[in-house]
Amino acid sequence: MPIIEVRNVRKSFDGMGVLRDICFDVEKGEVVCLIGPSGSGKSTMLRCINLLEDIDAGKITVLSEDISAIRDINAYRRRVGMVFQQFNLFANKNVLDNCILAQMKVLKKDRKSAQETAMEQLKKVGMADFAKAYPSTLSGGQKQRVAIARALCMEPEIMLFDEPTSALDPEMVGEVLSVIRDLANEDMTMVIVTHEMAFAKEVADKVVFMDNGIILEEGSPEEIFNDPKNERTRQFLSRVIKKEFVS
Amino acid sequence: MSLQKCFEIILKYWPSFLLGIRTTLIVAISGTAIGLVIGLFVGGIRAIRLDKTSPVSLKLFKRFIDAVLKVYIEVFRGTPMMVQAVFIYYLVYTNIVHWDKMVAAIFVISINTGAYMAEIVRSGIQAVDPGQNEAGRSLGMSSGQTMMNVVLPQAIRNAFPAIGNELIVNIKDSSVLMIISITELMFQSNSIAGTTYRFTETYFVTAMIYLALTSISSVVLSRIERKLNHTRTSLPQSDTNAHSMAIARKGADYADN
Ligand SMILES: Nc1ncnc2c1ncn2[C@@H]1O[C@H](COP(=O)(O)OP(=O)(O)OP(=O)(O)O)[C@@H](O)[C@H]1O
Ligand SMILES: [Mg+2]
Repeated sequence: MPIIEVRNVRKSFDGMGVLRDICFDVEKGEVVCLIGPSGSGKSTMLRCINLLEDIDAGKITVLSEDISAIRDINAYRRRVGMVFQQFNLFANKNVLDNCILAQMKVLKKDRKSAQETAMEQLKKVGMADFAKAYPSTLSGGQKQRVAIARALCMEPEIMLFDEPTSALDPEMVGEVLSVIRDLANEDMTMVIVTHEMAFAKEVADKVVFMDNGIILEEGSPEEIFNDPKNERTRQFLSRVIKKEFVS
Repeated sequence: MSLQKCFEIILKYWPSFLLGIRTTLIVAISGTAIGLVIGLFVGGIRAIRLDKTSPVSLKLFKRFIDAVLKVYIEVFRGTPMMVQAVFIYYLVYTNIVHWDKMVAAIFVISINTGAYMAEIVRSGIQAVDPGQNEAGRSLGMSSGQTMMNVVLPQAIRNAFPAIGNELIVNIKDSSVLMIISITELMFQSNSIAGTTYRFTETYFVTAMIYLALTSISSVVLSRIERKLNHTRTSLPQSDTNAHSMAIARKGADYADN
């Protein structure tokens, strides 16, 4: 059974359909990249999976639970990590405290063991030396790596990434992608919204192309990137890939 | 007006002035502190946005509480503190208990300040990036935990200038509490002026004292503000040598001069 199962999901804001009958699956250990033009509903889809938005119709099953029926939303969110485009590190806390706060509040760990976990995760993303630094002093790439470590401290079973590199200067994209690549190699289940086509091609087990609230095409990276069936997919890919060459 | 007379008044009546200063500071500082606590509660509750999935009963309860708090804020911001002071003092005095005037004064200035603080805190909370709240929630923290540990500390820091300003306002506006005869600075000045018949000189001295109190307060407040901002921008360093690095850099700055 898939670890995430999205069935006929609909969602609208102010009468405007943003998700219009979305279906897709994510298997355990799979990396699914969600691509598509701006405004196509990719962020909304991720936010629905994390219950930051609720759906109007359809069903999302995660870790064998219908998430709209979940009572303890906080316990559920703990199991599904989320990384945002704008990092959203806690501005009033240093790097280490960013990583231990939820461990202590949600997992009820004591400070010492929370710190151990935090340092371990920070080491993994190469940010252990910055444990005492405040977010405002870090570069975008460093912030995003800390945000990933913070999410990993909760030992999530699934990670959701919403354009993790879109707010970064080009020279910092690589360091964040390499952290995500490491996670993929550890068989973390991930859903990644991204505009980095080369990266999607490299790490994804499955690529889902969304446009205007519906999934137009999905398949292996080879299928989508080398031999797209849909005309819109072709147009979109030629546009972004051209842009990648220019930059 | 003669400056010489001013000095004579100070020399002769300084103990009365000092008592007035003391009472004024006690009332203003405790009123601001208690008002801040009230404001944190009231503003914090008003800023809570319930999840769409919350039960209807909770949503209705929240609506009711919001309405009550709104009335509190409007009433205390919309009427003069002098009127609030006499009304509340006599209301309690005649109906409930013969309470101490000082207690009454601190009570009135606290709930008056609380009404202003509530709005300061609420707009401070709303000014915090919603992404901060979402990040907390996405890690599994409840809205209360996220509010207390992430949003509120940032709101207070952002709103600190406005919060500090309430202290300065209270140092001045506590003068209206003379209406219930507490021995604050304005009340003392009135009695000094009444004995000396030197109205201009006495109130000139009084004005200078108020000016000194408010100036000192703003210096202290801006010091605190700078301290608060410092922690946010501390240098990215490993372990504890961040602090010594900061000191070393400061030294270098001085050497440059
Ligand atoms: N909270 C909201 N209220 C109203 N409209 C919203 C809200 N969130 C998103 N939308 C609208 O829904 C549509 C889809 O938005 P979404 O952010 O999901 O797109 P996206 O695919 O992530 O785009 P991008 O690549 O620009 O991030 C957009 O038209 C957006 O304006
Ligand atoms: Mg988006």
